[in-house]
Amino acid sequence: MVMVVVSRRWFQSPWEFRESALFTAVAVAGGFFVQYVASGQGIPRLHLPVNAIVLSLFAALILSIGVLFRNNSIVKWFGGIPLGLSLIVAIAALSLIGGIVPQGEVAAGSVSALFGVNQIFSSWPFALAILLFLANLGLSLSWRLVPFKMQNIQFVLFHAGFWIALSCGIFGAPDLQRLVMKVDEGQQSNLGYMESDTPQQLPFSVFLHDFTLEEYPPQLFLYDPQNNRPLQERTKATTLVRKGVKASWKGVDVEVLDFLPFALPTQNGVPEPADRTAGVPFARVRITSADATSSEAWLSTGSPNMEPYAAQLGGLLLVMMPGTPKAFRSEVTVRDDNGQQTTATLEVNHPINVMGWKLYQMGYDNEVGRWSKYSVIEVVRDPWLPAVYLGFYMIMAGNLLFFWNGIKKREVAS
Amino acid sequence: MIVDFKTAAITAIACWATGSLLSLFARRTSGLKLPALLFSFSGSLVMVLFIGFYWYLLDRPPLRTLGETRLWYAALIPLVGFLVEYRWKIVWLKYYCMVLAGFFLVINLIHPEVFDKTLMPALQSPWFIPHVVVYLVGYVLLAASSVTALHNVSLQLRSKENLNGEAVSHYLALLGFVLLTFGLIFGALWAKEAWGHYWTWDPKETWAFLSWLAYLGYLHAFRYKIDRSKLQWYLALSFLVLLVCWFGVNYLPSAQNSVHTYTQS
Ligand code: HEM
Repeated sequence: MVMVVVSRRWFQSPWEFRESALFTAVAVAGGFFVQYVASGQGIPRLHLPVNAIVLSLFAALILSIGVLFRNNSIVKWFGGIPLGLSLIVAIAALSLIGGIVPQGEVAAGSVSALFGVNQIFSSWPFALAILLFLANLGLSLSWRLVPFKMQNIQFVLFHAGFWIALSCGIFGAPDLQRLVMKVDEGQQSNLGYMESDTPQQLPFSVFLHDFTLEEYPPQLFLYDPQNNRPLQERTKATTLVRKGVKASWKGVDVEVLDFLPFALPTQNGVPEPADRTAGVPFARVRITSADATSSEAWLSTGSPNMEPYAAQLGGLLLVMMPGTPKAFRSEVTVRDDNGQQTTATLEVNHPINVMGWKLYQMGYDNEVGRWSKYSVIEVVRDPWLPAVYLGFYMIMAGNLLFFWNGIKKREVAS
Repeated sequence: MIVDFKTAAITAIACWATGSLLSLFARRTSGLKLPALLFSFSGSLVMVLFIGFYWYLLDRPPLRTLGETRLWYAALIPLVGFLVEYRWKIVWLKYYCMVLAGFFLVINLIHPEVFDKTLMPALQSPWFIPHVVVYLVGYVLLAASSVTALHNVSLQLRSKENLNGEAVSHYLALLGFVLLTFGLIFGALWAKEAWGHYWTWDPKETWAFLSWLAYLGYLHAFRYKIDRSKLQWYLALSFLVLLVCWFGVNYLPSAQNSVHTYTQS
């Protein structure tokens, strides 16, 4: 077993953990200082092509310093594991702040805002730590890349993959565009919104043919009209309604005798099956109370233009709530400025690609659920995505190699 | 349908139990090795066949509900245990994996209604299974690594000889790190499809990143000339970070606007 040499004076060559920790601490403190002094002024947001040029120069600089000065003791230290570990600890500590303190807007002038603690991941100390980390990782890479040996392939895949994903993710962040569109059924729009800003003209328009929402089966709830809220505790095991289902709450048994997922009431109040777009769920239930008296009733979730049907149960109401959304989709036609058009269905987890933009089904009118007359669509453009994904794929390739042959060769109980 | 599941689950559990017993005995009687292997494998085979059958019956892949995902865990987790044994001769992990798989099936047996459980649209994705399974197995390995490390620490404190222990905790941490890395990247690729961006520093993501950093730190410290016996402490404690990530995130102040808290169940 090898012990760390401790009888070494500060800054005596070769530098190790103490110097690395001190350097890192000074860098992070400096970052917080800059954040404080520049209060409100974020890090400059460079867009394409400037950020790509700056990043390429940075990469070239690091690689050439690594290759040209590989025997310089300071450079060696700068690309070594002790500094790497200190920076990992620093990044972890800053992320820990971001993992505990709620991130987002706070009152200007509060301590949190002054030091960027509420936006730690776009703060100066974080950016500085990441930049140093990239330099450190880049130097260690340069030594494995030049001269290249096949046995270093795993190291290179991991470290270069991470370098590429991290650097492109960070440098490319200002080029990420995420806008939200609201499109009414039968209408088209080419306006995208960012939070509260004025709308931005998009290079394409979206026409919404139809928005549809599928629900899970409705659920039975006991509702307390006095306090105006469902008695969640008492009906904990929410029952998805289907024919034959039974539920019981303190002394009351409910059995679903009949279930019509899509129905409309007729003249005499008795529901009849109806088509999917107009109909609402109806259920016939038998309610048996503790004294064995039983009654039957129709329940319905209702809709924006139909009152729900509920049943009296002592002072409480037995109600049927619409099921949670199971799937929702928008039938759209996207036209670009050259008149090209694509018709597609947008659904959660199934975005579509149009001219370098990705379109996502995001939301709808929550008040009315499946009766929504509009669809909310998120449009995203991220020109740096392929680079970041290249990094991901390299890391995964390294992972696969590692999983298969990493351990056997070198580390047997060393 | 549920009846068929009962049969499949009980058969699988019986196979794993028999396989485990036989392989315990196989330490003395090496002739039992093959039957032990066959029985252990059959448990997973039964589950794989059941999933195939269920898939056919539903006319959609059974990936939609939490109960259904547990079928996949049950089929796959023991296979990881077998692979680890085959590759690195770590024998005891497979028992742990088979017990965990059995545990999943028992949950489904006790709560047949989980098969109806609703699943929000964002979770209905082919990424759901690989992302979750990889993380789950990763956590299993890292938990095992921490337990081993803790064991090593206690042996050190009593100045007992323990050469192999440090190698085992290290292997497991390494393997767990590989799976955490996959989990993190799968999560990012999925987030891109579901939420529009691969990384948003959501609290859950932040904590997953933190746990990954903890083990990244360990690996590099291990590479460097740091006393390996001291690193056992580090490994034993790293698991605490994982626990926060796993269960604790929901209770932190930062979780108020997380997309990963599915409290609806
Ligand atoms: C702080 C910057 C980093 C530095 C200076 C650094 C440096 C090193 C060095 C010198 C080794 C030893 C390689 C060997 O002996 O073959 C190593 C191994 C390793 N590093 Fe890093 N690394 C850094 C960041 C990372 C990152 C971000 C990852 C994850 C993507 C990573 C993953 C690994 C893995 C998995 C190994 C073991 C590789 C193997 O055994 O082939 N490292 N690193």
